[in-house]
Amino acid sequence: MAVKEFKLPDVGEGIAEGELVSWLVSVGDTVSEGEIVAEVETDKALVEVPSRYDGTVKELFAEEGQMVPVGDVIISFDVGDAEGGDAAAEAPDTEGEPGDSVDEAKTETEEAAAAETPEGRVFAPPAARRLARELGVDITDVDGSGPGGRISEADVQAHHDAAEEHDGTADETPVTPGEGEAAESTGASADATAGAAPSGTASRETTLAVPATRALAKDLGVDIDAVPTEETREGEAFVTEERLRAFAESGGETAEPATSAADEGAREETVPYRGVRRTIGDQMAASKYTAPHVTHHDTAEIDQLVETREGLKETAEEKGTRLTYMAFVLKAVVAGLKEYPILNSELDEEEEVIRLKNYYNIGIAVATDAGLMVPVVKNVDEKGLLELADEISDLASRARDRSIKPSEMQGGTFTITNFGAFGGEYATPIINYPETAIIGLGAIEQRPVVDDGEVVAAHTLPLSLAIDHRVIDGAEAAQFTNTVKEYLAEPTKLLL
Amino acid sequence: MVVGDVTTGTEVLVVGAGPGGYVAAIRAAQNGLDTTLVDRDAYGGTCLNYGCIPSKALISATDVAHDARNAEEMGVYADPLIRADEMQEWKAGVVDQLTSGVEKLCKANGVNLIEGEATFVDDSTARIAHGGEGQGSESIEFEHAIVATGSRPIQIPGFEYADDPVWSSRDALDVEEPPEKLLVVGAGYIGMELSTVFAKMGVDVTVVEMLDGILPGYEDDVSRVVKKRADDLGIDFNFGEAASEWVEDGDGIVVTTEDEDGEESTYDADKVLVAVGRQPVSESLDPEAAGVEVDEHGFIATDDQARTNVDNIYAVGDVAGEPMLAHKASKEGIVAAEVIAGEPAALDQQAIPAAVFTDPEIATVGMTEAEAEEAGFEPKIGQFPFRASGRALSTGESEGFVRIVAEQEADFVLGAQIVGPEASELIAELTLAIEMGATLEDVASTVHTHPTLAEAVMEAAENANDEAIHTLNR
Repeated sequence: MAVKEFKLPDVGEGIAEGELVSWLVSVGDTVSEGEIVAEVETDKALVEVPSRYDGTVKELFAEEGQMVPVGDVIISFDVGDAEGGDAAAEAPDTEGEPGDSVDEAKTETEEAAAAETPEGRVFAPPAARRLARELGVDITDVDGSGPGGRISEADVQAHHDAAEEHDGTADETPVTPGEGEAAESTGASADATAGAAPSGTASRETTLAVPATRALAKDLGVDIDAVPTEETREGEAFVTEERLRAFAESGGETAEPATSAADEGAREETVPYRGVRRTIGDQMAASKYTAPHVTHHDTAEIDQLVETREGLKETAEEKGTRLTYMAFVLKAVVAGLKEYPILNSELDEEEEVIRLKNYYNIGIAVATDAGLMVPVVKNVDEKGLLELADEISDLASRARDRSIKPSEMQGGTFTITNFGAFGGEYATPIINYPETAIIGLGAIEQRPVVDDGEVVAAHTLPLSLAIDHRVIDGAEAAQFTNTVKEYLAEPTKLLL
Repeated sequence: MVVGDVTTGTEVLVVGAGPGGYVAAIRAAQNGLDTTLVDRDAYGGTCLNYGCIPSKALISATDVAHDARNAEEMGVYADPLIRADEMQEWKAGVVDQLTSGVEKLCKANGVNLIEGEATFVDDSTARIAHGGEGQGSESIEFEHAIVATGSRPIQIPGFEYADDPVWSSRDALDVEEPPEKLLVVGAGYIGMELSTVFAKMGVDVTVVEMLDGILPGYEDDVSRVVKKRADDLGIDFNFGEAASEWVEDGDGIVVTTEDEDGEESTYDADKVLVAVGRQPVSESLDPEAAGVEVDEHGFIATDDQARTNVDNIYAVGDVAGEPMLAHKASKEGIVAAEVIAGEPAALDQQAIPAAVFTDPEIATVGMTEAEAEEAGFEPKIGQFPFRASGRALSTGESEGFVRIVAEQEADFVLGAQIVGPEASELIAELTLAIEMGATLEDVASTVHTHPTLAEAVMEAAENANDEAIHTLNR
């Protein structure tokens, strides 16, 4: 019986690793080709891993919760007699001890790989090969992202980073004498990356922090250079107030070694900062620190919209559609974007051009258990209300159960976030960089408004529009918001 | 230690100042290591003094004469006179300029230079015997050593280089008075380069070769181009014969050869040039005293960091094994020096190019079609003949071709064979292509200057994809 291995496939988008969320099979289970055997969460989405063979599960090579680099073997199968017979015929001397079969499988895998690039030939330029040596990476293990699988320096780096995280250890590159301090701080940084809670202490020479954080550090008697952090600004470690407080609370100012998980007990809990959460974090940081945000607040009066939706809801339901306000908001936003295209844009810093998009792919931020996801409704201007409502509902539910595909969360030109679903009125949404604007919706409630000199109750929708002030001016933001307000106030205008 | 020795210390001892050794010494010194370079003979080694440079100087000089003499179809009539002694003087000037340049570069980089013959005492000590009477010796304690002792011409039984009419390649390059008749033993690259030089000087050249063709190791269609030109130059070839003895005969000599059936032939000549290959120089260094293993042929085995079986001792260049090429030696020297300095250097070239300065030149890099097949690739071939190159025709040199071997799936360039004018220069582009993992399209889509020979490289890449413009697609 032959053994076949399954490697975590390249799911595209330059994704180098994934977290093995759950095994759906155990050793000894019989599986058929195409059957889903595992779920792997990448930076973008939950990916289902199908079996490529009919057979039984021989070995699982990763634990649930473990980060697995793309290309690593995660499962092996004993496959059917036919193939096993062939394999035996090809390699009669591998029959016998069961333990041999793994070796044989390895040989097969190696041979298969050899068939692609004979003699272990690697297509990689000298700079990439040198980097591999520097990082201690076996370049034959690296998957190339270039044409035909050509390996770039970025591929080598990604492979190394994935392996490092996978091991949960700091860089294993041999440390030359005199680099002890650097190695120590690398270790601290790796610790910080692995978990959100600070553990251990760092010993940097330079630490960046805002003055208020420095003042707080002084007050708390904390050496700011000892606070572990993975954040950086311009290549230097950056400590936030949160980090500082967490460090101080953990008794860090005494520079004691990390307390063990058991000691920490109920005082704190470690939640891995990776997968979707980390992607959200990276994206938010990139956006916030790249695009100067300005938020414009306003309130739309939407009595007519409430009435219109009420009136259409039943008809929609008869057609199997749950008509939400979001469908109307999408239409109103696109109407606004058509009048003020500058809000439907992207700043290409490299080329020094602002790209105005003549298509309307609107992202809708959805809160999921894993964190914020932004499915994109494509070509909103070409779709009707019912179609939009259906699509939003489908995308949102698939985002929540994380079966949404990465491609369904890409290509957005403008984003809507609906924090009102959880209550509240105004907030500062962070732009879904490299887009240049995002609108946040507060809760639709009856609020007092002045109508003809009298305070009356009216349905209102608070709007918070954040813009990249490099590209969009306050006046344009206000005008756009006014347009959106108009369409929301008189939804029949959307029919024109 | 010999009584009277002065012992000094160095971080890196480099033995041999050829293109492997001096490059290693300079790079080691650049990396801040206290470096000592010892050579018993001359800076620049065989390459600068008795190999690449002097032979190429003579090839260029004789080419000038030959080309001038054969330019009648271009409307140029000339009857150049070759003064071999003046040619030697010019060649010596070129060599001197380069060797003194090496010395200056070493000094400028802070390399300590010692003249003398190094011998290992153990794995951290070498004794340096200075040449000449009363020069004495000294000992050097080293932390690391780089062996770069190079190679020397192989001698065949009965043909001692010490005998006047028997030439090694080194002797041939120093000749101030060309013989009337020269017998060359061996049709490898050295034999062919020198045969061409002497034929162009007007010498009557006959070549005997044990094998059944010239330039073993090169594909038939490649060596055929060179053989045809050699025939045109009037060089006589006799294959399947090994030189067995020579005797004086009046003013000249008679060389006897034997074929595999024991049948003898004799050749009258004034001189006999033995060019049957080179062997490593390692025994004088007594590597065993340092624990360094040497194989039966005298080569020192090294790993991909140029390290021998002894951790602190490295070997580079010809002594470290085939291919015996100066550029390979230099690369190994750099790697050894960087590894000693703690850098993550390694010998991980995808391919090392090689050039033969025959007429026309041959240059190759990477795999041939057969080698690619053997390695498991499904090769894809593109070829462009120089007779379809405007530039080649305008120089009057249109024999030969550029051939590119690529793999089928992604079109990565795997190898190239060029025979024709300036092949040794043209190969650089394809060497870079292989190193960078470039594809046929990368080469074909790169705009090449017109009119140049380099266009042939582009055209060959286009040909492989059936997109050639100036030749019929294969």
